Amino acid sequence: MIYSLLVLSSPASGHGSRTGAEFARSVIARGHSIHRVFFLDAGTLTGSCNSVFPQDESDPALAWEALHREHAVELVLCISSALRYGMLDETEATRYERPSASINPAFTVSGLGQLVDACAHSDRLITFGG
Amino acid sequence: MILHTLNALPSSAAFGDCLKLLQPGDAVVLLGDGVYAALEDTSPCDELRATGVELFILQADALLAGIDRPAEGCNSIGMDELVALTERFPRQLAWY
Repeated sequence: MIYSLLVLSSPASGHGSRTGAEFARSVIARGHSIHRVFFLDAGTLTGSCNSVFPQDESDPALAWEALHREHAVELVLCISSALRYGMLDETEATRYERPSASINPAFTVSGLGQLVDACAHSDRLITFGG
Repeated sequence: MILHTLNALPSSAAFGDCLKLLQPGDAVVLLGDGVYAALEDTSPCDELRATGVELFILQADALLAGIDRPAEGCNSIGMDELVALTERFPRQLAWY
């Protein structure tokens, strides 16, 4: 089966983002594929390259980054949410004259159309909120 | 048939809204803050069981909340079993 995931959870609160990454790993382990993971609202904070977690807490971004590195899972941040949360790639940082980009290179930014496309091309869309 | 993933405290509006929409044949997975509905002898737990839906709890989240023995009728599952449920149910509703 082809899966896509929608992640709305902030990596800094609750378990949603971490659970989503563990779910994605299990999806692949069971022989399915992941078409895309789309991060929306506070979920876009997962793609920050500036977050620093305490040493006794795991950073959900690392789990997503590993999925991208090991399985080429596409990680897309909603661009309007990302901008609102101060998450800019090089292009947007230049466009809005900000001093630097703030997005982990494993993530890309794009529009809501990518979520619609993910729905159209997947057998399952699983949402992680809270 | 819908798979409801319930990540909301029993006192929340989302929890109540989810309860209202449950239908025979649906399943509920408690995760995150939703795991507190698996405490035995509490009204949220009784209300969930009264719906007759299949009830599951994500074991990792239950343990984080200190719930090592979920209420009777609430089956502990790991991530592989959660994926298996999404294979079985074509639609998911996420409550949070």
